[in-house]
Amino acid sequence: MKTSRFSLPGLALAMLAGLAQAQVPVQAPMPVGDVERGRLAFAACRTCHYPESYVGHHNGPTLFKLFGRKAGSTDFAYYSKVMQTSELVWTPELLDFWLANPGVFLKGSSMVSPPVRSAPERADLIVYLKQFRD
Amino acid sequence: MSLESKPTPDTPAPLSAEVGKRRRFLQAGAGLLAAGSSLSSSAATAALRRQDIKQWDEETDLLIMGSGIGGIAAAIEARRQGQRALVLEKFHVLGGSSALSGGVCYLGGGTPLQKALGFEDSVEAMRDFMLAASGLHAPKEKIAQYCEGSLALFDWLVDNGVRYAQQFSAEKELSHKAASLYYCGGEKNAPFRTLARPAPRGHVPPAENQTGGRELMRVLTASARQLGAQIRTEVEVRQLVLESDGSVAGLRVSQAGRLRHIRARRGVVLAAGGFIHNDEMLALFAPELNRCRPRWGHAGHQGIGILMGMAAGGRTLRMDHGFAVLPLYPPESVLKGVVVNEKGQRCIAEDSYYGVIGHEMLYRQAGRGSLIVDADCDYPGTDYRVVVQARDASLSGLARQLNLPEGMLEQTVAYYNSHASHGRDPLFGKQAEYLAPLLKPPFTAYDLSPEKAFYATQTFGGLDTTVDGEVINAWGEAIPGLYAAGRCSAGLPVAPYYASGLSIGDGCFFGRRAATHAARRKV
Repeated sequence: MKTSRFSLPGLALAMLAGLAQAQVPVQAPMPVGDVERGRLAFAACRTCHYPESYVGHHNGPTLFKLFGRKAGSTDFAYYSKVMQTSELVWTPELLDFWLANPGVFLKGSSMVSPPVRSAPERADLIVYLKQFRD
Repeated sequence: MSLESKPTPDTPAPLSAEVGKRRRFLQAGAGLLAAGSSLSSSAATAALRRQDIKQWDEETDLLIMGSGIGGIAAAIEARRQGQRALVLEKFHVLGGSSALSGGVCYLGGGTPLQKALGFEDSVEAMRDFMLAASGLHAPKEKIAQYCEGSLALFDWLVDNGVRYAQQFSAEKELSHKAASLYYCGGEKNAPFRTLARPAPRGHVPPAENQTGGRELMRVLTASARQLGAQIRTEVEVRQLVLESDGSVAGLRVSQAGRLRHIRARRGVVLAAGGFIHNDEMLALFAPELNRCRPRWGHAGHQGIGILMGMAAGGRTLRMDHGFAVLPLYPPESVLKGVVVNEKGQRCIAEDSYYGVIGHEMLYRQAGRGSLIVDADCDYPGTDYRVVVQARDASLSGLARQLNLPEGMLEQTVAYYNSHASHGRDPLFGKQAEYLAPLLKPPFTAYDLSPEKAFYATQTFGGLDTTVDGEVINAWGEAIPGLYAAGRCSAGLPVAPYYASGLSIGDGCFFGRRAATHAARRKV
């Protein structure tokens, strides 16, 4: 299967069977995020993830240059099988979807985290992470 | 079935009957509480009666809820004592917060690693430091037992496959990936350095970026399995099952969508973490911690184990305690600045352990204050942990921007500078290497309020336990067959948190003690 950049509606359809319980308005436009709110919200993710290039991998892979990257493709040594074989590319929309549905979408991933239920908070996280690139 | 149900020469029958009555009352009360309280969103932490269980689906000796260090240490010890052990993990990933932690274990008294690296330590020095740093809340008996057992705990970890590198790191925060020993707490801070001889006691498997917990738990979990412990994932513990005398008979669990009842012949160990991710419990019991973010810990810290223990009559302790780690360092250079309260007065030695700084600001300064630095000791760039509150070419300009009482900040810095230039800190005893006069503009204030700064937070409150991990009820009696370990229990860590590795050490040490006690229990 070749790697492709899923569009969100396509992704939602593809995953629908496994997402019977997920109540997410996947087609709603993402709210506008705020970098400073994102800094505060992202603090909780730092048990495992750092987006700063000088830190590197932690309990989870680095989030430096996350968007556009194929899931499970860095040299991080502890990816789950589901992540390594997902054939997904990280986009803001995909991350938004996953953060809303961890444990449902990409079930079996090593990331054990409660869902981020607030859409504005997910948007803050995403706009914060977008800063960390070359 | 239980010890308490049989009158013995030591416990005359009338007293036993009275105890039984009290216990029944407690259970009824706890049941009502659980039923009426919004904390029982997991409705069903209330205990079941043995007579309501038709039959057991399975039996083991020691039944353990949670696969963090407390649970795995209990499983290993149970197997070493010839007992069956079954660990139930709610998630599909093992290890709980322990596996996400730095993996530091607070050990001392002259461990082989300390000796090999040329550091002298004694059980007494370790104990004196822990007692002094714990203050009024010191769990004295647990500290005494822990320090006396520290060498044996080191040996136990090594016996179970944990490997330490013969390398010391002098950094306050362990960022040296090849080192296994460092000063992980406030041993060298005033006043502790004069009360007990400092020694580095942070023992950690070598790892990058403080991920030693992953290796620690990988090794210990493998050891538990090798010794024959059963470890099951995706099993959700629902309720304790109690005998009519209040002793613990087993657990109701949900496994693959089915309810099952597992008998625990020797006991149940609640090792399912604290309650940092339970919003209602946090707001009710620990309002200070509730102001902070991030909530530092595994998603499993929902308070379920604590609530189950309470519903069985267990009493809780130090529910408002926790760590509030405000990691100003690294870089250590910023510690040459001054931490001031909302009046512009210096309030702590800036080289204190970061849990002690966070505690001071959060609990004692109402979460209001700033780190003041000059150009020489400022952060090299923007930092995710802190935000600039104000920056100015002069101290008085900075003070005006911060709206501090007139002249206070200038006075604070002038006093600090006059002594720092001689390598002294008469007010708080900061170590000379972190002292420098603040002279070079611009001067910058970083906001240390929990609304703006990074305060990693975890709960320390939990079930009160004996030194053998037995859960204690309202009248100070152990509940037969009920044990708690790690952050389900109120153990060694108290607020302020004064050293890394106390929570891991506590879970490991008292998890083992619980299993040892259960193995010797008459059933």
